[in-house]
Order: sequence, then structure tokens, then C-alpha cells
Amino acid sequence: MHEAAIHCVGLSRSYGEVQALKDLNLSVPYGSIFGFLGRNGAGKTTAIRILTGLAQPSSGSAWVTGLDATRTDSAARQRFGYLPQNPSFYRWMTPLEYLDYAARLFNLPALERKQRIDEMLALVDLKDAARRKIGGFSGGMVQRLGIAQAMIHRPAVLFLDEPTSALDPAGRYDVLELIANLRGKVTVFFSTHILADVERICDTVAILHKGQLLLESGREELMNQYAINAAEIELDSLPSEQPPADVTAFLAAVEQQSWAESARVERNIVRVTVRDLALGKRALLPLAAEFGLVVNRLEWVRPSLEEIFLKLSA
Amino acid sequence: MLVFNFTLSTLLMIVIPVILAGLLRRRFQIPWILFTIGTLTFIGSQVVHIPLNDLLTRMHILPKTGLDEPGFPLVQTALVLGLTAGLCEETARAVGFFFMKKFRGLEDGVMVGLGHGGVESMIFGGVQVAAAASSLIPMIGTDLSALKLTPEQLTMLNTQMNSMATAPFIAAFAPLLERLLAMLLHVILSVLVLQAFRRRNGWYYLVAVAYHMLVDAGAVYIMQTSGDIALVYLALVAVLLPGLVWLVLTWRKEARPTPVYPQPVRVDLGIFAAAVRKELVQQWRTRRLLVVMTVFVLFGLTSPLVAKFTPEIVKSMAGAEQFANLIPTPTPADAMTQYVKNITQFGFMLAVLMGMNAVAGEKESGTAAMILSKPMPRWAFVLSKFSAQSLVYLLAFAVAGVGAYYYTVILFGSLDALIFLDINLLLLLWLLIFVGAALLGSVIGSTVASAAGVGLGISIALLLAGSIPQVGMLMPSGLLAWASVLGANAVAAPLPAASSATGMINGGAVAAGLVLIVLCLLWSVALFERQEI
Repeated sequence: MHEAAIHCVGLSRSYGEVQALKDLNLSVPYGSIFGFLGRNGAGKTTAIRILTGLAQPSSGSAWVTGLDATRTDSAARQRFGYLPQNPSFYRWMTPLEYLDYAARLFNLPALERKQRIDEMLALVDLKDAARRKIGGFSGGMVQRLGIAQAMIHRPAVLFLDEPTSALDPAGRYDVLELIANLRGKVTVFFSTHILADVERICDTVAILHKGQLLLESGREELMNQYAINAAEIELDSLPSEQPPADVTAFLAAVEQQSWAESARVERNIVRVTVRDLALGKRALLPLAAEFGLVVNRLEWVRPSLEEIFLKLSA
Repeated sequence: MLVFNFTLSTLLMIVIPVILAGLLRRRFQIPWILFTIGTLTFIGSQVVHIPLNDLLTRMHILPKTGLDEPGFPLVQTALVLGLTAGLCEETARAVGFFFMKKFRGLEDGVMVGLGHGGVESMIFGGVQVAAAASSLIPMIGTDLSALKLTPEQLTMLNTQMNSMATAPFIAAFAPLLERLLAMLLHVILSVLVLQAFRRRNGWYYLVAVAYHMLVDAGAVYIMQTSGDIALVYLALVAVLLPGLVWLVLTWRKEARPTPVYPQPVRVDLGIFAAAVRKELVQQWRTRRLLVVMTVFVLFGLTSPLVAKFTPEIVKSMAGAEQFANLIPTPTPADAMTQYVKNITQFGFMLAVLMGMNAVAGEKESGTAAMILSKPMPRWAFVLSKFSAQSLVYLLAFAVAGVGAYYYTVILFGSLDALIFLDINLLLLLWLLIFVGAALLGSVIGSTVASAAGVGLGISIALLLAGSIPQVGMLMPSGLLAWASVLGANAVAAPLPAASSATGMINGGAVAAGLVLIVLCLLWSVALFERQEI
């Protein structure tokens, strides 16, 4: 059995001339929340469809919890739950009926089935709509039902394809909270192009671009690797658009330091980029005090995932 | 007993290949598409083989009237027949393997062999035996001299009927044994041809052709010279034994089947049951059941009414009164004619309309992706739809049949219930062929519209095939013809007498109907298994 919850080796898929996925090698540890990032059309959905057995790879292999996932009748499907980008349900069914049907497909015994359906309906806040026809549901309700059906059988792995893209801010917050709470218990493979979502809950990140894996790394390691060594100093609010003389003098002084690269001010925030982080950390605050600046906050900032993503996929 | 034996033997010849392929698939996860490739290599080979033998007959290389025709040495004829069979079938297999480049495992070769030999067993075994038995059994105990046959034909017929009467078990199951041996031969030959590709060595192909020729020629020669079927089977076993030993040794040496983790059969069947249940609820909730029931009940009830009151209706029409006398007095047979005509016309439309949406609709809407990412086997997804539709039509026939029977008895006085039951069973089988065809169309089509086109195309092709000489009576139209004959005799006598009186028990059409359904379902599952959702 593989040590990883999800493992791909040389997974490729082409559609005629178009290569949707090129030699994807991935290893997703058990219990992690894995952010699968990429622009629209990067190949994220193709990868998930192959991993869930809905599409066949042109070459390569994939395993979910150690079971070959690339066969159409693989037993691996007992081990994962899947929420597609646009979940589609039988419109004539109610959530209660759909979840019951899904639970039967996972061979849950009658008692457990009833219990899990209740739990899931409560979890996704659909108890009140449990007996309403799905055909009349809003996009958010459909998405929440999608999450419920994917988790009905307590899967070891959860594939979520853009789970928050159709949700309003409140719905998005709820779904992200729900996913974050699964950390350590379920391996979540979470594809999205919303970088803030990944930054918020994922502990491992992979970036896919034009079918190719650009990087796979822990979120913290990634942030550190692409750190840009910058500090933000928040001053008391400035009296006018033009920075006062002491601030201008401070900027000039910083730029003369050997450890500093640049300094600029925008409203009441001074942003200093340093060449030598260790020296800069020791010298920056005393220098500000030397010029009599009143500092509300000093923060050594890291790049946002968005900055890294844009840099890598440029 | 004789009827039971032959029915069982026919069913086994149709079902055993599917069961063997199912077991092989379960053990090695071999896709069903290889079985269907096997069925196509057989059908494709016959498309060339039959005209080729016809051509050789016209060129006076093969005899025209029979194997004992003067001027044609038996050894030469047997060898030529064997050679054409070997060349056509092995070449068809080679073409199949050429296009299926991804499948080069020995187990893949076995699956293709099962498909090739399996469909041969269904057609040349099941259908032919059913056709022959259903023609011969009613004649047992009757005066054959009334038939306009030559003395030679009469002798042959007497021999066949005596063997049936004296050894009913052997007569019924000997063809099954023959088909099982033939299936083994096809497995060996398929693996031999596959080895030609695996080892890039054309000698394997030539050996397969020669082996096929030897087996066929030997069987023809021994049968013709000794007339002893047991000796033929013994010779077949003897000549197949070296091939079997080679196959086993090669398997042990070279086969490296991929390990698989199949779900237990119990789990698969539980999922299938859940899927059928969902389909039935869907039929109810989406009011499709109501539509089918309404149409069937409507035409079930109105058929006897229309038959009975047509003269009255014509009389009541201004200017048409003089034609009323030209219409014969209505009989139950007229009611049955109306019933068969109406139910089949509207049933056909319903089968195509409901069938086209079955799989294509789910693919198009995205619900299939939601379900197939769960442990639902694709065969269960496809077959649950066929099963649910079959149950709906069964129920519809039951209700419509009860209504039609009641009205016919009320209006005409009598109707043989057993014959009417037989008519309904034949019509149900006829309809299920088109349910299967529409399902196949629904799997092939990526949208509901394209599925409708493909399903309708297959169905029309099946209807048109009824016009092909010799083969036509085995097509679905043969079932309708039988049902119509039964309808015409619905008041006269119980089934066998009534049918034999008209020379019409078409067991071949029943078996062919079953084979068509099995093939439609197998091809549907095989293609669906390979599709991306």
C-alpha cells in the first residue's frame, strides 16, 4: 500500500492534439488538505476526472489509498467522495432520497444510513429542505448537497472540484470552515482558482499550468521559498498627501543602508525591501526611532499566494 | 420433457458464453469490449466466409447439393471448407487484434475467443437448435408422408425424429457439448493469433489457420463417413487436447494478470438492486409509467372494441353505408389483429422514446458523473435501466392484456387464455428487443438527440432485416408473424395444435430475439465501460 492517500505517476491525457495533462506526478499525504491550483483550463478537472475513474489516462497510473483508481470499476471508489464542479442531481428527488440512494451505493447498512443522512443534512444545513424537490434548489443549496453526498460514507479521501466557485461569501465561508475541520481526519484534494481559499485552509499546494505541474510544496515552505524580504511600517496617519520631512528623510536614510534595497511610502505605510534580512531586522526599527517616527505596527511581510501563482504561471 | 430439454439447452448455449466471460472479467478485470470485439470478428468473418463458399460452389470447387455429390472427393471438400473457415475467421481475429493495440495479455486473447465462440454458440447453437427443435417436435407422432418431401429428405427427417424420440437427452444437449468444444477451439485460436502479434511472428497465424482447417475438416469427414456423432465428439476432444495443453503451458509461462480488487458479488448485486429501485421510482415520479400504462391500456381496451364496432361505425357514416356489408362479421381474430397491430406500433414508439433518454440523458445532464464516481459498476448502471423498463412493459402488458381479454370475451364470447398469454409473451419479447436497441443507441449517442437517431437507426435496421430471405423469419418480425398466426387461431385450439396446424412455431425467432437482446446489452455495457463521462 502506498504511503500517500493519492499517488500519481506519469499521468497524461491528450484530446487529439491538445495535451490536457502532461506527466503528472503527485503524492498527497494522508489527512492533508491539498490545494490544486491552476487557471481555468489548466487541467485540474481532467486530473480529478482521471483520479475518480470518470476519464482514462492516455498514460500513467494513479492510486487512491493504494488502490488503482484508473479503472472504471475500481474498488477505490469506495474510499473517496467526489464533488464535481457543477454537481447535477435528479431533479425529481429530494435531498433525503438522493442521500439515501448514494448511501445504498456505498453499501451502508440501514441504521447507519439513516444516521449519516441526518448528520449530513445537519452539517450542510439542509434539514429544513430535506423533503423538497432538488429541482427547485438554489446554486448554493445544490453545492451543499453535493458536499453532503460526497461525505455520506465517511470517505478517506475527498475530491472537491472548485467547491466554492458558485457560492456567496457566507456560503463560501461555511464550506471552507467545513473543509478546514476535516484536517487530519480526511484527505481533501481541493481544486480551485480562488487563491485566497487555498491560502486560508490548505497545508499543501500544487500549481498546475497548461497541463503541467509547476510545483508541489507545503504552503509554509512555499511562502518562505518565495519570500521577498519586505517590511511594512504603519505610521500614525499622515497630515497630507505629501509625506512630511521626517518620513522623507527616513526613506532617504534607509536607501543608503547596505542591507536595504528600496523604500517607498503609500498613505501611512512605508514598505522597505531588504537585501540582508538578518541585518535589516536588527536595524530597521532603531532607524525609524532615530527619525522620530511614531510606529503603530511593523510587520515582516510574506508574498501572497496570488503573487507566487502569478509569478509561476506568467 | 423434450421441449424442456431443448429449451434448457438453447438457453445454456446463449448464456454460458456470457457467464464464462463474466467470470474471466471478474478475475482479471478484462474489459467487455474484448468480448464484443470477439463477437464482431465472428460476424465479420461470416460476412466474407458465406459469400466465399458460395463463390467456390459456383466455381465447382465445392459441391452444390451436398457432401456426397459425385465428382467431389470428401477429403478435398472437407479440407477446402476447413481452409475457408480458418482463413476467414483467423484473418478477422487478426484484424481485431491489430486495432486493439492496447490489449496484448493472454487473458485478452481468451476473452476475444470467448466472444467469437460465444456468439457462434448463440447463433449456430442456440438459434439453430431452437429453430430446428420447434419445427420437429410438433411433428412427432404425425404422419410425415403428408409432407411433400423427397424420399431422401423423408428418411433424414425420420432419422432426426427417431433420435429425438429415443434419446431425448442426448439429442437436446449434444449441440451444447459441440458448442462448448467449439468455444474452446476459438479460445485456443484467438490466443494463437494474438501470439503472432505478441511475438511478431506470422507463423502463429498460419498455425491457427491450419489448426482450424484440421479440426473442421476432421469433423466433417468423420461425420460424413461414420455418421456417428459420438465419434465426432471424441475426435474433437482428441484434436483439441494438444491445443489445450499448449494454452495451459503458455498461460503458466507467460500470463502476468494484473492484480485486481473486485467488490464482492453480493455488494455489486446490492448496488444493482438499488439502481433498479431508483429507476422504477423515477418511472413513477416522472410519470413515464403513467404514460406507458395509459397507452397500453387504451389500446388494450379499444382493440376489441374497434374490431367489434367497425361495421357499425362504417354504417353510421353518411355515404359509407353500402361498404358496411362488405366488412365480414367481426371475430376474436380481428380483435387480436387490432391488438397486435396497435400495441406493437405504439409500443415501438414508446420503447425508442423512453430508451433514447436512458443513458444519454444522464450523460448530458451530469447525473451520470455523480453516480459513476461512486462504486456503481457500469454494467449495473446500464442493466438497471433495461431491467426497470422491462418491468414497466411487463406490467403494462399484464394490465392491457387483462383488459383486452375481458373486453374480447364480453364482446365476442370466448378467447383462449393460454394462446392470448403466448401472444403477449411474444409481443413483450419483440418489444424488449427494441428496448435493448434504444438503450444501445442511448449509450452510443453523447446527447439525447444523437441517441434517438442511433437507436431509431438500429431499430429500423432490425425491422428491415425481417425482409432478408431465410434470415428474415428469425428477426423480430418473425415473432410478430407468429403472434399474428396465434391471434388468428385464438379461439380454435390450444397452442401446439393451433400453431402446428399453420406450420408456425418459430422457436428460432424466440432464441434469436433473446440473442439480439443479449448482444444489445453486452455491446451497451462494453461501450459504456470505455466511455469518459
